[in-house]
Amino acid sequence: MKETRLGEFEEVILLLAGILGEEAYAFKIADEFESQTGRAVSIGAVHSTLERLEGKGFLKSEMGKSTAERGGRRKRIFTLTAFGKKVLKESRDFKMSLWQQYPAFATDKLNIA
Amino acid sequence: MNSRPNTSPPFAQRVLLYILRADLAEEVLGDLEEKFQETLKTKSPFRAKLNYWYQALHYLRPFAMRKTKISSYIYSALFQNYVKVGFRNILKYKVFSFINLFGLAVAMSVCMLIILMLADQHRYDQFHDKKDRVYRILSDYDNSRQSYATSPFPLASALKENYPIMQETTHLTPGVGGDAIYQQKLVDMRGYFAAPSFFRVFSFTLEKGDAKTALMSPNSMVISSALAYDLFNDEDPIGKTIDFADRKLPFPLDYDGIGSSPFSWGSFTITGVIDQNKYKSHLKFDVLVSASSMPALYVDHKIPDQSNDWEQFFRTYTYVLLEDGKHIDELNASLKDFTDRTYADIKSEQTKNFKLSAQPLSDIQLGLMGNDTNSRLPRIGYYFLGFLAAIIMLSASLNYTNLSIARALTRAKEIGVRKVTGANKKSLVFQFLSESIIVSLLALVLAFGFLLLIAPAFKGLWVNQYLNFELPQSISVYVIFIGFAVLIGVIAGAYPALHLSGYQPVKVLKNMSGSNPGRMGIRKFLSVSQFVMSLFFIVTSILVFNQFRHFMKFDYGFSSKNMINVELQGADYLKVSNELGSVSGVMDVSASDIIPATGTNNGIDLRETGTDAEFTHGNILLTDQNFVNNLDIKIIAGSPLSTAGESDRFILLNETAVKELGYQSSKDVIGQTFDTKWGNETLEVVGVVKDFHYRLLLNSGVIQPLVLRNKPEHFNFLNIRITSAEPMATIARLEAKWKRIDPIHPFQYKFYDDELSSTHQAIFDLVAILGFIAFLAIVIACLGLLGMATYTAERKTKEVGIRKVLGAGGFSIAYMLSKEFINVLIISVLIGAPLSYVVNNLWLQMLANRVEFGFGTVLLGTFVLLLLGFITIGSLAIRASKSNPVDALKME
Repeated sequence: MKETRLGEFEEVILLLAGILGEEAYAFKIADEFESQTGRAVSIGAVHSTLERLEGKGFLKSEMGKSTAERGGRRKRIFTLTAFGKKVLKESRDFKMSLWQQYPAFATDKLNIA
Repeated sequence: MNSRPNTSPPFAQRVLLYILRADLAEEVLGDLEEKFQETLKTKSPFRAKLNYWYQALHYLRPFAMRKTKISSYIYSALFQNYVKVGFRNILKYKVFSFINLFGLAVAMSVCMLIILMLADQHRYDQFHDKKDRVYRILSDYDNSRQSYATSPFPLASALKENYPIMQETTHLTPGVGGDAIYQQKLVDMRGYFAAPSFFRVFSFTLEKGDAKTALMSPNSMVISSALAYDLFNDEDPIGKTIDFADRKLPFPLDYDGIGSSPFSWGSFTITGVIDQNKYKSHLKFDVLVSASSMPALYVDHKIPDQSNDWEQFFRTYTYVLLEDGKHIDELNASLKDFTDRTYADIKSEQTKNFKLSAQPLSDIQLGLMGNDTNSRLPRIGYYFLGFLAAIIMLSASLNYTNLSIARALTRAKEIGVRKVTGANKKSLVFQFLSESIIVSLLALVLAFGFLLLIAPAFKGLWVNQYLNFELPQSISVYVIFIGFAVLIGVIAGAYPALHLSGYQPVKVLKNMSGSNPGRMGIRKFLSVSQFVMSLFFIVTSILVFNQFRHFMKFDYGFSSKNMINVELQGADYLKVSNELGSVSGVMDVSASDIIPATGTNNGIDLRETGTDAEFTHGNILLTDQNFVNNLDIKIIAGSPLSTAGESDRFILLNETAVKELGYQSSKDVIGQTFDTKWGNETLEVVGVVKDFHYRLLLNSGVIQPLVLRNKPEHFNFLNIRITSAEPMATIARLEAKWKRIDPIHPFQYKFYDDELSSTHQAIFDLVAILGFIAFLAIVIACLGLLGMATYTAERKTKEVGIRKVLGAGGFSIAYMLSKEFINVLIISVLIGAPLSYVVNNLWLQMLANRVEFGFGTVLLGTFVLLLLGFITIGSLAIRASKSNPVDALKME
């Protein structure tokens, strides 16, 4: 039976892959991750996560175009599968429901930074 | 990653390609390339490359790596099993393990010693910041035996002016050696003239003073902190003025000094202090005198003016610092261009085909040149020692190989079972190799213990006072040791691993005796070669020892017994000889310019007055009238030299000179006059002395012509013969007397006998080294033999039992067990004896005054070898033959 849970890092990567669309390949995702979160990450770490997500069926991939700055090598573009989108949505809905059960949130006195 | 700053490191790419899954390679390399190009926009190429490596190493993840057939878990379990079986085997066969471990450890410790020596030498001159760009300029001309470390004096400035690739050049010129005097205190001081650029090329830093200006102005000096302490104690030396009187003390090579009388150079200001103990460098000095002091000294002829002399290249050391990124080839091209232009119209014998070449700073310590700045072991010495160590190591590895093959039978079943249960050949090879590596790593531990014993012994060798090996140990050396041990493990285990893993499981499991326990051919060959080597070493060390004894007992033709040679150190010879001659215990006193047979010789060319015959070349010894008598040299015709002052044109000849000059009898030559080639003097022969050896025994077999002449102004030594009773008391009285004549310089004397024997002391070191190696070689070979014999005896326990029961005698059983090994010994002697005779004769023939090398020496060596060999096998055979047959037959 395949693991279908989504970890925090995985979720971010999955979201970033969705955001980048046509440009979603390991280097760009790592780059985007660094600029959005300000945290350093190695391309290898991102790549391994992408691979794992693909294994879980959240992503699919195919080889894309090659460019000069890559030394003429092609890139692997990752796209969200329907299942992936569903998992993301479920994750968001689940959190939203949690937030809504949190009374401090409703009164807008949220004290967590 | 050197010249192309904008490409990703190719090695990292190769590593990636090796570890990555094939289908991932393209995208990963592409991603990393993109990352690299982006990093390059904001960071330095170096940082970008570093980042590339960082990214590449982060791909060492399970998902990205190539899949191997067996997963790594099984591998590690297998490996654990190998280690376990390896250790069990070591413990189970204690005798074999001991033989292997001990042999390997002994050999390894010798190799480790050499690794330490090399590591020690590699630490020299590593502290210079720009060491990769600093070169020393070497000189060479036609017919020279090796390049000189020195070069013409004006070279440094000329190179700097003409070639922009030289960022900086500097020269070091010896010629400073004498007394430094500060407030009645007098200290010996030796060093170089140096320019301010010295501190720009080298990274010596000053403890006190400013390196930029220290060597700028005339009459300034940078001194070593040891000298500073001797002169000023704890006072601050900077700005102090000292007087300096040069005595032409030899420098940089510190052979036994013959200083001339002190000659004042005036006063100097101390501008800097260097702590020499902080640096390991091929440059050692007490003092650097600013080169700008030189012109004033030229004027008074205190030092020779070489500022425009391109023909003399025997004194100055020139160093250049290349511009960043320039290559040694460009430097050599510049040097060639320079010599082509400069030497086109200099026609002198010593600059014929003159060549300059560059030597990288880091190569200097191992690349000894002529005229070099200190004495150290030349490269050939390392080759020699390395060769000896390699032979010992090989011999020990052969033991391992040999015993492993022999024991194959015992292990055949294990191999069969492993194969049946699925081990392939590769994993068996891996198993046996890991076993041999375990053994060699254990041997390394033992070897380390041996090293602690032999390293001090090596440091205590006589030659080491000149070579200064310190043999420090560091992490990197340990890493090399471990790498070395693994390598030895692989070498020793390679053959058995391949051989054993090739067994066919069905055969070895069905019928054990059907498998062949290693062809005896190979094992015999290995054993024989070990004993041939051993025999060779034994014979060689006996021979070298004989040669050493021959030198020690050599009859020079004069008497050196109870003779001490006292350095005059510039003092007046007549005064000193009168004073010291009156001391009680002194029998006789004479004087000479050099000490015969200790290495120094001066030449002279003579021909009969009034003829234009060829000059006859000979040597000249300047002595007083008493010398011949004092040293017991026989006068066979004429009279001794007359006293100084009467006439210094009288000479004595030796017998050889008489013959070479074309005279039949010694009497004919008396009264003849001769012209000298240099100086145009006319000399008259007053007597002839019997031939005696006055040159180094190592170098000269035949005695050459010799002239003795009385020239007191050149005397450097007093030869004092003392009574044999209480020599030290006499010397103490001499020293007390000397203090009254020269209160400044210490009394310096040597026993002539010691001086003569010290010229062969190096040979004794060779005896010690060779003897040690021979000892190790024979011990290792005998251990190997012991192992084989033990094994055979074990295997034949039952056979011996049955034979005994059937009535065989002890002798016939001992013979049966050992005949194979006796054969090995006999074959070894048959090959080794002639070999060692022929090879040793090759070098012996080149030696002058050689010892008799007959079959006696070879026989003695053979006897030693056979004795040790027979003791080894004999003891085992006898034990086996005496054992109770019941025990043997019960065993199952």
